[in-house]
Amino acid sequence: MMQQEKQLTEKESLALITQMINKAKDSCHDTGISVIMWGALIAICALVKLSEIHFGYRLPFDIYLLTIVAVIPQVFISIKEKKERKVKTYDDAFIGYLWLGFGITIFLMIFITNAFFNVLEGYTNTEGHSAVIIMYEYISPLFLLLYGMPTFVTGFTMKFKPMILGGILCWVCCIITIFTTIKIDLMLTAFSAVFAWLIPGIIMEKDYRKAKRGLAEANV
Amino acid sequence: MAEENLSPEQSLQVIQSMINKTKQDMSDNSIYFLVWGWITFIACTGQFILKHFVKYEKHYMVWLLILVGIAFSIYQGRKQEKTQRVKTYVGDSMKYLWMGMGICFFVLSMILSKIGWDSAVFPFFIMMYGLGTFVSGNILQFRPLIIGGISAWVLAIGAAYVEYDYQMLFGAAAILISYIIPAYMFRFKNKIANQ
Repeated sequence: MMQQEKQLTEKESLALITQMINKAKDSCHDTGISVIMWGALIAICALVKLSEIHFGYRLPFDIYLLTIVAVIPQVFISIKEKKERKVKTYDDAFIGYLWLGFGITIFLMIFITNAFFNVLEGYTNTEGHSAVIIMYEYISPLFLLLYGMPTFVTGFTMKFKPMILGGILCWVCCIITIFTTIKIDLMLTAFSAVFAWLIPGIIMEKDYRKAKRGLAEANV
Repeated sequence: MAEENLSPEQSLQVIQSMINKTKQDMSDNSIYFLVWGWITFIACTGQFILKHFVKYEKHYMVWLLILVGIAFSIYQGRKQEKTQRVKTYVGDSMKYLWMGMGICFFVLSMILSKIGWDSAVFPFFIMMYGLGTFVSGNILQFRPLIIGGISAWVLAIGAAYVEYDYQMLFGAAAILISYIIPAYMFRFKNKIANQ
């Protein structure tokens, strides 16, 4: 539709911009699917690991390998969301880069800690405890430190309190796990995953569906 | 202010000028990269010299220099808050990102002080430098920062395979490539743009 060029007052210009921003905001609610998936997955991995240690059994594979498998559905979810989204906001791009950086850092963390495990193999401290076991005690705090970072920043960017609190919770749990045994570390990891990702993800998904229904009604 | 009639072109011009203003404001933020970059670079190389050559027992004391960085950041942050006229997406994102990074560095220090400062310290810090600069580079759409971030990650892997003393030099190299050089390039680019 061709619109006639019309003189706009400052107020009208601003009203038009505000209207456009609001329209973009309505169609820009994030789905919570990825956040729910990762929250549930990390919680399950931590709890399965905990049960392995507590009940003294071993699965034929490392349960954390599931996080690599989960990258496949994540790619599909991202492609689908990209197709459905009509407008890409500045915040979307920022959050995208943030989580991409986080993903690479998690991969590096696994790599670096494994490198240290190899170096420490065979070493013991003055009390005769294995250096590998000592290092193992710090794996959960290191990962919780990373979990907190994008969660906290995303929460602030989206002005979404559950994620801000979730990020802070990860860091609080991280500090606690420095001083606790592996079993408690794993329990707190599952706890953090539920409160930082799973629950905020469910809230996001609910908001998304509500906004989608609202948009559909408005377009009728 | 008198209400003025603006044509859509004029409205766009106003928006364009605001965008240009923000771009200019961004150059001010490179000062953080420079101050923190130089402090960390001096601390890394200083610690290496004190430990490796001088054989000074309390070589880690050189890291007290970061107190200067903290004091500067608080002072500069307050000053900018007072003078800043426009609130920008880029500015907000950078603020949130580096607030998160600051907390991460603090919590990471707590973990590493428990593990022991003389063991696996630098690869983790270098990895975090990489995260901050990689995301910043993408926000600012400034390639040298992105490359700096990726280089820091590569150096983090390398540092995991060398002795503690040499990890410090990896730290110095990472900070040079990911903070200091990109910050000078950013300033240079803005200087030319402003001319």
